[in-house]
Amino acid sequence: MDIKISGLRRRFGRVEALCGVDLEVPGGMFGLLGTNGAGKTTLMRILAGVLAPTGGRVTVGGHDLATRAGRLAVRRRLGYLPQDLGLYPDLTTREFLDYIGLLKGLDDDAARRRQIGELLDMVGLADVAGRRLKGFSGGMRRRVGIAQALLGDPALVVVDEPTAGLDPEERIRFRTLLAHIAGHRTVLLSTHIVEDVAQTCQEAAVMAAGRVVFTGPVTGIVDRARGVTWEIVTQGPPPAAGVVVSAVGGPDGTRYRVVSPVRPDPAAVPVQPSLEEGYVALMREAAVPG
Amino acid sequence: MRSCLSAVCRYEFRMQIRKRSLWISTIGLAALITVAQGDRGPRHLPAGTDAAVVMGSWALLFSMLLPIGFGMVLADRLVRDHRIGIASLLAGLPARTGALVAGKYAGSVAATAVPGLLVLCVAAAGEFVHRGDPALFGWAFAAFAVVLLPGLAFVAAFALVCPLVISAPLFRVLFAGYWFWGNMLGPDYLPSLTGTLLTPIGDYPASWLIGERALYAGEPGWLSFLRPEPGGGAALLSVALLIALAALPLAFAGPLTARRTSS
Ligand SMILES: Nc1ncnc2c1ncn2[C@@H]1O[C@H](COP(=O)(O)OP(=O)(O)OP(=O)(O)O)[C@@H](O)[C@H]1O
Ligand SMILES: [Mg+2]
Repeated sequence: MDIKISGLRRRFGRVEALCGVDLEVPGGMFGLLGTNGAGKTTLMRILAGVLAPTGGRVTVGGHDLATRAGRLAVRRRLGYLPQDLGLYPDLTTREFLDYIGLLKGLDDDAARRRQIGELLDMVGLADVAGRRLKGFSGGMRRRVGIAQALLGDPALVVVDEPTAGLDPEERIRFRTLLAHIAGHRTVLLSTHIVEDVAQTCQEAAVMAAGRVVFTGPVTGIVDRARGVTWEIVTQGPPPAAGVVVSAVGGPDGTRYRVVSPVRPDPAAVPVQPSLEEGYVALMREAAVPG
Repeated sequence: MRSCLSAVCRYEFRMQIRKRSLWISTIGLAALITVAQGDRGPRHLPAGTDAAVVMGSWALLFSMLLPIGFGMVLADRLVRDHRIGIASLLAGLPARTGALVAGKYAGSVAATAVPGLLVLCVAAAGEFVHRGDPALFGWAFAAFAVVLLPGLAFVAAFALVCPLVISAPLFRVLFAGYWFWGNMLGPDYLPSLTGTLLTPIGDYPASWLIGERALYAGEPGWLSFLRPEPGGGAALLSVALLIALAALPLAFAGPLTARRTSS
């Protein structure tokens, strides 16, 4: 299911959370990066039909979200993992999934149970399927969250920061799982973690202050930092110009990597940028209008 | 979508019945009022009293305090979806808000009724030991259905919906105050709903079961048109009015939930 967004606006009182977003999401795994408060969650809630936009137009798989019928058609084929999803503490994992499955309209008991069993295996929760959800760790809760999103074999999966706060191993497991399910679906993944996008998405968008400041292949983000990423080893203070992206202390001084449109120090040498440096370069561009 | 309503109902029932505070409050309040019932309480009814009168009196006795506990334990059922962060997920599902609200209401009311019915059955068993009349058990169910259940249905609707507008703790305080003012404060002290058809304590149905004024039903006071003589018709009218009034807040629950999710 492809997503087409044009001129999307959403205002909360005085705050303009989205100020004219234009975005096209093809199939496969699509990353959505952005700073805190950039509007990622607002955009995803609108896609899930939870929030109404103040203006603009969104179609998902050809269904217009402005109409009731369109929203319902999208919801029927949507798997949504909200940011900070809570779970009913008094239900077991299996009961919770059964409940959500029924609410998704999976009325065939045998088929629903089979699907829940498969998903529990897939997210590695089969052993604790009969345990109450209270007392589940962050990683386990996130896995329950993704399992519920995948119930009903949705064509569009919207996941809002699913890897925040997970340990590296769990994070890698999780994003690999997402990439795996993106084989025959559209998966929209929002995150702050540039590495997650680098490892799983071919296409991505970057948001800042309610706008999309980049959209295209992930390599395009890296390109933004080409020619403006520098490395310098010094025992003196950090370079004053540009943004220091990394600083690694060593016996012969500190090795800085800096994103800066001008050479930050006579001793600085240009280097191949990483995705994170591309992201930083983009954010700098976005902060300087024009 | 056939099973959406029944699914919400079933799972809300499960979650509510697993709530320890429901059992603790119901059993605790029932024990308290049993011990504190005084000479006019059902324990002191003479031997040979009709089973309907005995169980009607017990139901009314429990109805004085149990609904306070019911209101307290039901007050978080709708707002907690927002508090624990599941409201956004529910709003993104194809299930209709109306079905969610109706299922939550029906499921949580049914679960809350279970310990209430249970304590009334325990009272019937206690009476059975002395009186040996098996009809006591049948009347326990009947008395529960006409005295306690309509009040519970009424209280539950407000307990579910009001915390969407005011905070749940504030609702609990106001509700406890309302309960004593509108049900137990004699109508001759202050203008109050006590003794009217709108008292969820079940005064009219209990009066009908007992065959005389149970508490204050129909005593002269404020809003005299709501104070007919107790009897079968008045009891029925009281139950119907309570259920109709319960529908009122529920009608607002959907829009209030949606507004909260989308703000
Ligand atoms: N319900 C709301 N009420 C008021 N303001 C809101 C609401 N939701 C979002 N905002 C504001 O809209 C802007 C965008 O928020 P949003 O949550 O969409 O950002 P985000 O990119 O998801 O941020 P984060 O990465 O921190 O999750 C922020 O300024 C936020 O304060
Ligand atoms: Mg967010």
